[in-house]
Amino acid sequence: MEATFIKLTAAIYLFAAASYFYFVFRKDTVSRLPSFALASGFIFHTAALLVRFVNEGFAAVALIGEALLFKSWLMVGVYLLIQVRYRLTVLGGIVAPLAFLMCLAAMAFGKSGAEIPPGLESFWLPLHVTLAFLGNAVFALAFGVSFIYLLEERHLKHKKMTALLKRFPPLESLDRLNLMLLIWGFPLMTLGIITGSLWAGIHWGDYWSWEPRQIASGIAWLFYGAILHGRITAGLRGKKAALLTMVGFCVVLGYFLWGDTVFPSRHGGRFQ
Amino acid sequence: MRKEIVIVGLNHRSAPIEVRESVAFESAYLHDALTRLRNYSSIDEGVILSTCNRVEVVAAASDSTTAYSEIGRFLSEQKAQRHGIALTEHTYQYRGVEAIRHLFRVAASLDSMVVGEPQILGQLKQHYDAAQQAGSVGTILHRLFHRSFSVAKRVRSETGIGSGAVSLSSVAVDLAKRIFDRFDDKTVMLIGAGKMGDLMARHLQSHGVRSLMVTNRTFERAVELAERIHGNPIRFEDFPQYLKMADLVIGCTGAPEVLVNAAQVDRVLRERKHKAMFFIDIGDRRNFDGKINDLDNVYLYNIDDLRNVAEENLQGRSNEAAKAEGIVSEEVQSFVRWIGSLEQVPTITALRQRFDDIRRGEIDKSLGGVLKTLSPEQRAALEDMTTAMINKFLHAPITELKRRGDRDNDDEAALYLAALKKLFDLEGK
Repeated sequence: MEATFIKLTAAIYLFAAASYFYFVFRKDTVSRLPSFALASGFIFHTAALLVRFVNEGFAAVALIGEALLFKSWLMVGVYLLIQVRYRLTVLGGIVAPLAFLMCLAAMAFGKSGAEIPPGLESFWLPLHVTLAFLGNAVFALAFGVSFIYLLEERHLKHKKMTALLKRFPPLESLDRLNLMLLIWGFPLMTLGIITGSLWAGIHWGDYWSWEPRQIASGIAWLFYGAILHGRITAGLRGKKAALLTMVGFCVVLGYFLWGDTVFPSRHGGRFQ
Repeated sequence: MRKEIVIVGLNHRSAPIEVRESVAFESAYLHDALTRLRNYSSIDEGVILSTCNRVEVVAAASDSTTAYSEIGRFLSEQKAQRHGIALTEHTYQYRGVEAIRHLFRVAASLDSMVVGEPQILGQLKQHYDAAQQAGSVGTILHRLFHRSFSVAKRVRSETGIGSGAVSLSSVAVDLAKRIFDRFDDKTVMLIGAGKMGDLMARHLQSHGVRSLMVTNRTFERAVELAERIHGNPIRFEDFPQYLKMADLVIGCTGAPEVLVNAAQVDRVLRERKHKAMFFIDIGDRRNFDGKINDLDNVYLYNIDDLRNVAEENLQGRSNEAAKAEGIVSEEVQSFVRWIGSLEQVPTITALRQRFDDIRRGEIDKSLGGVLKTLSPEQRAALEDMTTAMINKFLHAPITELKRRGDRDNDDEAALYLAALKKLFDLEGK
């Protein structure tokens, strides 16, 4: 049941990705088809997660390999919310294939069978994981938006008007959206860190143990905080803001991809 | 009698402007001209298309050769004759399939001076309406023009032929739209009272810009222009102070020196918290320092840059034009099929005639021989019976033929018609 849902989701995301590409590169017309496709994929995605959640509990949704499914779900969800207001076919062209790959990876990895050791279960853990992932999803989209911004900015500076450029939203919209994502992402990340810290305080005994992932999140948090501060008070915007936002996400992403292997820690499902 | 579509005309490629002007039709006299056109013996239906780039007569005629010379005469009755211009070397003539293709290409803006320009379709509709009012449009041209309108729409929606700005001020607006997402909260500063800047400012206003500052070395001219385009005049020596309020700056002075340099803009940027600025330099010499473009969040386009973009867009349009030609070919084919189906009415009549001739012949033969003794009542009954038989024989094939003819895209309709003509030897009847 659940596997079928995931397969369906992946297939629909692939179709959505193809249609996004088609409408970004080929046609002159604007179509709602890709977004509808993505949204219908999202419905199956939700169903898959629900089935898993009901059958196996939270750990099966949010830890290690399974987390990919949850993360991609959050990312697609946030994108769908954004595109209600912003015509961002181009960003869809990044989100849809990414979501497809994440679903594919989730299928390939299968279930790790990780379990939360008894006694460590409390309401803080799901809250921490959800908030942290949601923050990451928002920053992932900010990364995409920044990337599009830089691409468009470069084209404009070098005076190359391509057909592709016309499919991009104006720089001003992208910059505003970038700021909005930062404004949403930063508090989510902050809350993610606070709840995590509280959970650690309750179950590990110390709120902050200078663990690699904690350090990485700390750095990312300071970094994003600095960008937000700069944007609000010092008129940081445009190209620099986009570049910094991308760098910030690389810190987060880099740790999630390689951090656990290079610096094993209690984080990420290994609780002892 | 078969009617043929004929076009005689001249356009921006075949004739210089003086010649085109010498045959142009003013819209006030179009009605009279159409009536005169109809008086020519070979012309059954006619539409006159007259724009600044082309003058064409589209007609449905019984004989194309006569129609060519008659339309030629009709056109030269315009001013051309008085000016002693020999039209024949400037005109082109099309008939049949080529005429259909030509009109479709004109409607789809493939034959325009600026390929893809959107005005031609409206002009075509206008001239078609005028012809309709003058009563010079019949079945064929009605169908031909309506089809050409839908071809134009199809080309526009399925290809990028109309995309990409090709005039300098629309290129500038397009670029501004890449940078800013709305114009109603933006301020434009126009430096210099040149024609070009005036045009660009108006163009921006039509896209929503409300706030406009105008400055010029002679303040009176700034005031004058500001009044005309509803802007605020600013003294020339003061404009650097106001620069921080401007999101778009258009320079179009003939000044030999640079009016705004990079260091200045850098200061202004800090004052406006790095909000994006767009400098458009369309002056005779460079009004803005080229280094301005190196600053973050600032974009500088000079007149050559705008021209390059316009040329690239034009190039892009000609690539799309190839796609459009394909669509036109398709549509021409299907229209030719429709024309072919018009032949079915005479064919059906000929078919009935043929059967009736045979019936008549055979009855006459029999009544002269074996059936000589029949009473008048019996003869009438024989007459009725044979007629009914023929009607029943022909009912199914004729219904099928008509049904196919009513459909636009029936490939086989023409085939059926041809087969029928051959089988029953209807050719030349």
